[in-house]
Amino acid sequence: MNVFDDIQFYLFNHHHYIDEPPDSDKYESTWVTYPNANFRPDVAHELYQRWTREMLLAEELGFDAIAVNEHHQTVYSLQPGTTVRAGYLAALTKRVKILVAGIPINLSWPSRVAEEYAMLDVMSGGRMEFGFPLGTGMEYWSNAGQINPTTARDRFRESLGIILKTWTEDGPIRHDGRFYNYRYLNVWPRPMQKPYPKIYIVGSGSKATVDLAADFRAGYSIVFTPIQQQLKAMANFREIAEERGWTVQPDDTIFTVICYVADTDEEAVREARPHIEKFFSWMHRVPNQLLSPPGYVSRDEFLRRAQSAALSEGTKATWDDMVSIGRIICGSPDTVADTLSHWAQEAQCSRMLMVLQHGDMPEWKAVKNMHMFAKEVIPRVRARATGATAPEPAFAGVK
Amino acid sequence: MAAYAQERHTINGIETVVQVAGEGEPLVYLHGAGTVTGFDALLPLAERFKLIVPFHPGFGPSADDPAIDDVHDYRRHYLDLFDELGLQELSLIGHSMGGWIAANFAADHPERVRRLVLVAPLGLKVDEHPTEDLFAIPGPELATYLAADLSVFEGHVPVPPTPEFLADGYREMTSAARVLWARPYDLKLSRWLHRLTMPTLILWGDADRMIPSGQAPAWAELIPGAEVRMLPGVGHLVFDESPEAAEAVAGFVGEELTV
Repeated sequence: MNVFDDIQFYLFNHHHYIDEPPDSDKYESTWVTYPNANFRPDVAHELYQRWTREMLLAEELGFDAIAVNEHHQTVYSLQPGTTVRAGYLAALTKRVKILVAGIPINLSWPSRVAEEYAMLDVMSGGRMEFGFPLGTGMEYWSNAGQINPTTARDRFRESLGIILKTWTEDGPIRHDGRFYNYRYLNVWPRPMQKPYPKIYIVGSGSKATVDLAADFRAGYSIVFTPIQQQLKAMANFREIAEERGWTVQPDDTIFTVICYVADTDEEAVREARPHIEKFFSWMHRVPNQLLSPPGYVSRDEFLRRAQSAALSEGTKATWDDMVSIGRIICGSPDTVADTLSHWAQEAQCSRMLMVLQHGDMPEWKAVKNMHMFAKEVIPRVRARATGATAPEPAFAGVK
Repeated sequence: MAAYAQERHTINGIETVVQVAGEGEPLVYLHGAGTVTGFDALLPLAERFKLIVPFHPGFGPSADDPAIDDVHDYRRHYLDLFDELGLQELSLIGHSMGGWIAANFAADHPERVRRLVLVAPLGLKVDEHPTEDLFAIPGPELATYLAADLSVFEGHVPVPPTPEFLADGYREMTSAARVLWARPYDLKLSRWLHRLTMPTLILWGDADRMIPSGQAPAWAELIPGAEVRMLPGVGHLVFDESPEAAEAVAGFVGEELTV
C-alpha cells in the first residue's frame, strides 16, 4: 500500500462574490465591515448558478469529492449557510462525496449542527464528510458578538464532543458542560454512515488545532497556508497522534493547493497570476485586528505569526514570495503532477483539496483548468499507485 | 522620588505582583486594561501615602488566570489580596477597567473604602457618549485613542513595535476581552452605585477618546455627593499626561488626614 493507491481529489470552490467596485482601493477590508450596500442579488444569483455548474462539472470529470465551506459578511464567500449549499448540491449530484468544512460550530448549537449534518448524510445516501473549523477570527466579529473569542477553543472542544456523543451514543443523553447543558440530547435523524461520517478538524497549523484532532481521533485538514507549514503541521499531527496511541492514515489528512494547469509552465502563470493576485489583494483583504481578535490564539501562537512575514503580511506578499513558499502551483501537467506527488509522498497524505478557480477568474479559464487537471494531472498522479500503468498519451487540452 | 519595591503574592494559586512605594495611609491603585506605560506617574503619591499598585492577573508580571472572566471575579480577587496584605481599610483609585472593579468593590464593601477615586471609569452604559470599542481599534491607531499627548509612550513603545511587544499587548487584550468582549459595561451597575457612600472623586480628561468625559455626569448623578474634576486637554491616560491628576488625588484623599 502506498499513498497513491487511494489518492483522492476534492474540488473546492470558494464561492467568491465577484463584483469589485471601481473605488475598491478605499476599502480596508472585504470582510466584516465591507458595506453590504454593495451587495447585488442579481450578480449573486448568476454567481450561484456558475458555482453550481463548476461543482457539477467536478462530478462529471471524475473528481472524488466536492467541498464547500462557510464564511460570514464577506465578498470572499457566498456561503454563510454551508448546509443550505450542501443540501442543494447533494440533490444535484449522484456519485461524488461532499465535504462540508464546515459550520464554525461555535456560531451554532452543537445539537443543531449534529442534526443538520446527519440530515445531509441521510439525504445524500451516506456521501458526506465533515470538516470542523474553529472559524476565522473574522467570524467572531461578524456573526457572534456574544461568543467570546477567548473561550473559542474550549467551547469548540466541548461542542465537538457533544456532536460525536450524540451521533454514537443512544439518547436521550444528559449533558452538563461549561458552555452547554442538555436535559435531553437525542438528535433525529442520526447519520447514515457508522459510527459517523469521516470528520476532519480544519486548522491553519497551530498546535491547538493539531492537538484537538489528535485527541478526537479526527482527521486534520489544513487551510491554505504555505505548503511547508502544512507539511510541518501534518508531521506534528502524526507525532501527537502516536503519543495518543493511534496512527494517522493517509486519508486522515487533507492538504489545500492553489493550482492552475496549462500546456506550459509559462502559460499557466500568465493565465492564472492576475486572478490569484486578485484573490489575495481583494477577496483576502483583512486588517490584522479582524484577523486576530483577542484570545483567538494564544500569546505564543500570536508571536509565531507576528514573527513570520509570510503569515502576518499574507495579503502583501509578492507573487514570487507566494510561489517560493509553495502556496501556489501553476504549471504544465508534468510540473503540477510531480509537485503534488512530491507533497503527497512527503506528507503521506492521500487527500488533496484543489482550488482551481481563483479570485475574479472568468468561467472559461476555471473550466479549462478543471478539464486540464482532471484529464492530465489526476492520471499522472494516479500512475504512481502500486501496479498502475503509465497514463494515456497526453490529452490535447481544452483551448 | 520614591521607587517601587515589588512583592509577589499567591492568590487562589495565581502569582500576583504588587508594586509598593512610600509610607503612610494605604492608597491602592487598580489599573486599566493595559499596562504599557507603567505606573511611575503615580509615584508622587508615594510622598504622602503607602502607594500600592497591584497588577491584575493576566497583566504585566502577574500570572494569567483564564478563570477570571467577569468583573466580579476581579472584585473578589481584590477582596482576597487586600486580606492577604492586611488592608482592612484603604483608599482606592480605579482607572478605566480598574474603575469598574473599584466601583464594584466599594459598593460591596463600603466599610473598607475610606475614599474612592474613579478615573475615567469603565462600566456605565451612556448612550449619548458611548465607550469606544477597544478591540476594534487598529493597532497602529490605539495610541491616539489612549492619549492626547503621544509623548507619554516614548521609552515604553518600541518603534517599530517588535513582535514580542505586540504579543505582550495581545496577551493583555486577551485578559481584558475575557471580561469586556461582550460589552464594556454592566447594565446593572447603575442600580448599585448608591452604595458608594464614601467620599468619591470622579476625575476625567476632557480629551478622552476611549471613554468620553461626557459619561462623568452619569456617574456623578448616581453616586451620592460625588465630586467631579475635569482635566482640560488630557486624554485617557490621565496620570501619564498630567501631573495635576496625582495632585488632585493627593488633595482629595489627604483632605481629612490634614485636618
